[in-house]
Amino acid sequence: MHTLTKAWFWLIALSGGSAVVAMLVGQGMDRRLAGAAIMALALMKSRTILSRYLDLAEAPSLRRGFNLVLSFYFVLLLVLYLAGSARL
Amino acid sequence: MNSEPSLLDEVPGELMMWVLIISELLVFGAGLAVFLSIRLTDPVLFAESQDHLHRTGAALNTIVLVTSGFLAARALGWRRAAERTKARLALIGAATLGVVFLIIKGFEYADKADLGIGPETNVFFTFYYLLTGFHAAHVVAGVLILLLVAWKDDARNIETGAQFWHMVDLVWVILFPVVYLLG
Repeated sequence: MHTLTKAWFWLIALSGGSAVVAMLVGQGMDRRLAGAAIMALALMKSRTILSRYLDLAEAPSLRRGFNLVLSFYFVLLLVLYLAGSARL
Repeated sequence: MNSEPSLLDEVPGELMMWVLIISELLVFGAGLAVFLSIRLTDPVLFAESQDHLHRTGAALNTIVLVTSGFLAARALGWRRAAERTKARLALIGAATLGVVFLIIKGFEYADKADLGIGPETNVFFTFYYLLTGFHAAHVVAGVLILLLVAWKDDARNIETGAQFWHMVDLVWVILFPVVYLLG
């Protein structure tokens, strides 16, 4: 199977995962846990788009840099989310 | 004299497009971080406001954009393999899915308007309209660029146009969970 087709299937699967987690919140799943899962799935989607659609797989050093910065950014977003959720 | 290859030599596609991609990520990234920072002041208001959003439509739009990005990426490979018709059709397909995204977004905005919700309703919706509206403006630009490179279908043009479109895609996969799902 073509690499881009695999990436597309992976992105669809990750999007489906986000939808499932969002639905589980409605059925009583802990919101903070769900938030962490949703952010992890979004990070994986972002990395796939950078790697495959934007072709950073061909530039490993740049990909490592982007992934590192993006991972820190997602941690920041998650910390802000969890801090807000603690006040609910 | 041979010089060591620079990191910039690794950059796939147009360097200036990467400058644009990083700039856009910084702008949207800052916007989303501010959005979650303001949520700290009134998380209940944010949770209640978020319940008015159409999550299914937004999730559908994620599928639409990642599929559109797939077609734009495939178009480049086809053009490089001299399969011009396939490449052009893929670009037109990607642009059409961009229009589908905008139609779904239009329904979402119309639904909010029917409920009397606008940018001035509260701070959540101010940011909601600012972030999603700015992103939608990029989708409009991206659709036009995809159609332009389908017409002027040099491989370099397609690569640049597709890079812009993937940036739009990338911003959405970060924006969607923060604005629509993290309640």
